[in-house]
Amino acid sequence: MARYAMVTDLTKCVGCQACTAACNSEWDVPPGYARTRVLPTGAVGSFPNLRSAFYVAQCNHCDDPPCVKPCPSGATFQGADGIVKIDKDLCIGCGFCVQACPYEARYLNPATEKVDKCDFCAGRLERGLQPACVTTCTAHAKYFGDLEDPSSEVYQLVYGKGASRIESDEVKVGPNVYYLGSKGEPELVAQTFPPRQPRMPSAGQWWERALKPLALLMVGTTFLGQAIAFFTQLRKGEPQFDD
Amino acid sequence: MSNGFSRRDWFRAGALAAAAAPAAHATPTPGQRGGKRAFQIATNCEMCFWRCGVLAKVQDGKVTRIEGNPQHPLTQGRLCARGNAGQFTLYDPDRLKRPQLRVGERGEGRFRDISWEEALDWLAARLQELKQKYGPESVAFFPHGVASTFFATLMKAYGTPNSAEPAFAQCRGPREVGYALTFGRGLGSPEPLDLENARAIVLIGSHIGENVFTSQITQFAEGLARGAKLIVVDPRYSTAAAKADWWLPVRPGADIALLLAWMNVILSEGLEDKEYLARYATGLDELRNHVRPFTPEWASKETELPAALIRETARAMAAARPAVLIHPGRHVTWYGDDTQRARAMAILTALLGAYGRKGGILLPTSFPRGGFKLPPFPEPKRGRADGAGERYPLASEEQGVTNGLVEATLTGEPYPIKGWIVYGQNVLESIPQRDRTLAAIRQLDLMVVVDILPVEQTLYADLVLPEATYLERYDAPHIVETAARPFLAVRQPAVPPLHDSRPGWWIAKELAKRLGLEAWFPWRNPDEHLSKIIEPLGIRLAELKARGAVAFEGRPYIELRKPEDGPLFPTESGKIELYSKTLKELGYDPLPVYRPVADPPPGWLRLLYGRAPMHSFARTENNALLNGLMEENAVWINDETARAFGLRDGDRVVLENQDGQKSLPAPVRTTPGIRKDCAYMVHGFGQQAPGLRKANGRGASDTGLITRVAVDPLMGGTGMRVNFVRPLPPDGMES
Repeated sequence: MARYAMVTDLTKCVGCQACTAACNSEWDVPPGYARTRVLPTGAVGSFPNLRSAFYVAQCNHCDDPPCVKPCPSGATFQGADGIVKIDKDLCIGCGFCVQACPYEARYLNPATEKVDKCDFCAGRLERGLQPACVTTCTAHAKYFGDLEDPSSEVYQLVYGKGASRIESDEVKVGPNVYYLGSKGEPELVAQTFPPRQPRMPSAGQWWERALKPLALLMVGTTFLGQAIAFFTQLRKGEPQFDD
Repeated sequence: MSNGFSRRDWFRAGALAAAAAPAAHATPTPGQRGGKRAFQIATNCEMCFWRCGVLAKVQDGKVTRIEGNPQHPLTQGRLCARGNAGQFTLYDPDRLKRPQLRVGERGEGRFRDISWEEALDWLAARLQELKQKYGPESVAFFPHGVASTFFATLMKAYGTPNSAEPAFAQCRGPREVGYALTFGRGLGSPEPLDLENARAIVLIGSHIGENVFTSQITQFAEGLARGAKLIVVDPRYSTAAAKADWWLPVRPGADIALLLAWMNVILSEGLEDKEYLARYATGLDELRNHVRPFTPEWASKETELPAALIRETARAMAAARPAVLIHPGRHVTWYGDDTQRARAMAILTALLGAYGRKGGILLPTSFPRGGFKLPPFPEPKRGRADGAGERYPLASEEQGVTNGLVEATLTGEPYPIKGWIVYGQNVLESIPQRDRTLAAIRQLDLMVVVDILPVEQTLYADLVLPEATYLERYDAPHIVETAARPFLAVRQPAVPPLHDSRPGWWIAKELAKRLGLEAWFPWRNPDEHLSKIIEPLGIRLAELKARGAVAFEGRPYIELRKPEDGPLFPTESGKIELYSKTLKELGYDPLPVYRPVADPPPGWLRLLYGRAPMHSFARTENNALLNGLMEENAVWINDETARAFGLRDGDRVVLENQDGQKSLPAPVRTTPGIRKDCAYMVHGFGQQAPGLRKANGRGASDTGLITRVAVDPLMGGTGMRVNFVRPLPPDGMES
């Protein structure tokens, strides 16, 4: 089975946000939200001895994804190919996964009221295409492929050129998005945007956002079901028993 | 996001989830678009003027997605943020929808909708009146880009020589003139730069990365990945500066001093390409004598850069020669000495033997084209009113001097200008000194704007004509001879025009009909026009339209040239003119001379401006997707300077310039990445157009603060980096 991974060469990246725009367009992401973002570190140091880089952030499809466990409905799951996906039909929009993600890669889509994030363009992969961000990248800075295939570009870049991941001493969840840079860009990005500790839902949040609404929904659905049954029967009339 | 999440919201989410579940299978999932009525159209982009090849995906009559066209010879499937967002301009709810005739005062924005029939009849009658009363020269035309081809034909046929686009006097003009004086030809667009093969890249005020032209970024990144050394000269720590091996935060306006010192090092150390210069150049001795006094130590005082750094970078360039790409820049109207700075850059390129060489500046390659035999255009009775060829002896008579036309309109000299037709440009955003432009417009008998969106200038128009966007129209083909492989690319509609908009070619042709000028439009439809142009190319129209572009063999390096390519250096001498006799005869410096530019007084900052990768000029700020990526600009101020002003990152400020002109409020970005004497902002924001519901009033306008210009005497360009600003607290806020 494949283990999909993305490598972004931060020495090449110019922060143009073509990736974000292509992704937003491909996946109908509402304005102001994104499945992949480009965050500048800004100039660091003192004039004129400065450094800066762009953090091209997206879902890391972690080996040990902290977003899966807190999902109350099972909507967030990881496939055998490593891609972490959201079953939109199951998502109840509680946002537990949003706060659990150490990379802030998820957002609650206000239009659909479902959580959304990068899925490595799974829909495009099925059609034999590369992810939208990869094909549009003006600097050819993004590489996508299978880390278990030694002939793949990503394999060469990760195991041959030492592409690194954004991790910290506290947070090591096996991200599958890697970064290259000849001027220490990955390190600067990791310092500026360290992964945060996954935040698990509290008991109160569980009640407020998952159990209570679910209970209300069930009560509501029960009433609705009763009502539908009642009116259906009213319309059809009482069944006849001709025995 | 998780904070403001109420229970009610949650319940709604849950209920919606339950309700939506069965329906979800019926609607196509984004990213898996397809279906019976889906197809794609190959065309080229117009979100900026680079015109990358795109594939517009159409489903059920709507453009749902735009991707790069892998078959486009230059951009090869890559596409920037703007290109990816094109359909949001097409479906912008704020678009101009139907022709409008002004009923209120100019600037009031009161119009009445009229039909195209009425609009075109009305305009043709006004144009005939002006022609009879004041002569056809009294009408000035302000176009921009390839899309204006048909209007340009119309205006020439009408009989006016007065056409001017900001691409010259507010942008590339000095560069075109400076390189033409030196090598015999300008550079053109897209720039013929061999970035990917360069072993050293020198950017002087070019902020590649923030300024995005897709293929230029691709080639720049590729050049760097192959190990090119990068030298960036910029008062600001730009995206490119962060990638540089050497960043030179030059004192603004001292670029010529730096260039002269670089030449001094190269010539005094014998690092120049002697063989190349002996064969192709004239004036080397004069140049050698000229630059002798300009040592790195001398330049260090002017540029505020260490002499050792100047020496080191000069040697780095020489070590990489001839594969040294000194980027000629694009927007280069800075200080009024811009043609001479471009000359200095061209001369340095020549010293390194980098013109017509691999890794340097590419030579253009022509290819044959067909066309209709048009009647000769009427010879205007009076010459140009903008000073091109006279007051500004080296200004392009093809592209003109916009500010020259503003001036002529204001003064009535050399003769009155009574009508403006504005097509595809935004005169209030592109031409500096807005007050003068507005005063000129108020004096006009006729002001016509052809546009997509209700930008500010439409408020001052007598007649507003809504044009179809690039995704809804044909345009003249994009013909590029400056790429390593020259090509022709088509612009064709993906969907029919929305609302009551019309393509530019149709508007021009219909006007021509009413003005009795149809002889200049001898084709029935755009297909016929295009077919004629591609006749000698050996490609069928259908195939070209399916592929989007056709490319030809290029001969970009000296060793590849053939006799049919003409002279290598079409100057008067047939050689590279390091020393310019042309300039000498006109009474200008035959070799570039450095003249210091005034520094800002204490307490003031020099206003610098540039571009952001997700916006083009003032054209895209209302695009929903791009607005979501960047909805306003920030004012970059050095962190120490900001502290002295009592400003913290994110504070909102108004900028006031030396003439008391104020900007709209914008947030401050404090950073060590800019010199202490400068402020920087991205151009295109701070628009004052209520019809642009997303862009209106957002951010600060650099154009509004550019009330002073330093005019380049050679070609009329407006140097715009001569304005000083200071941050003030916004009105009504406590400091």
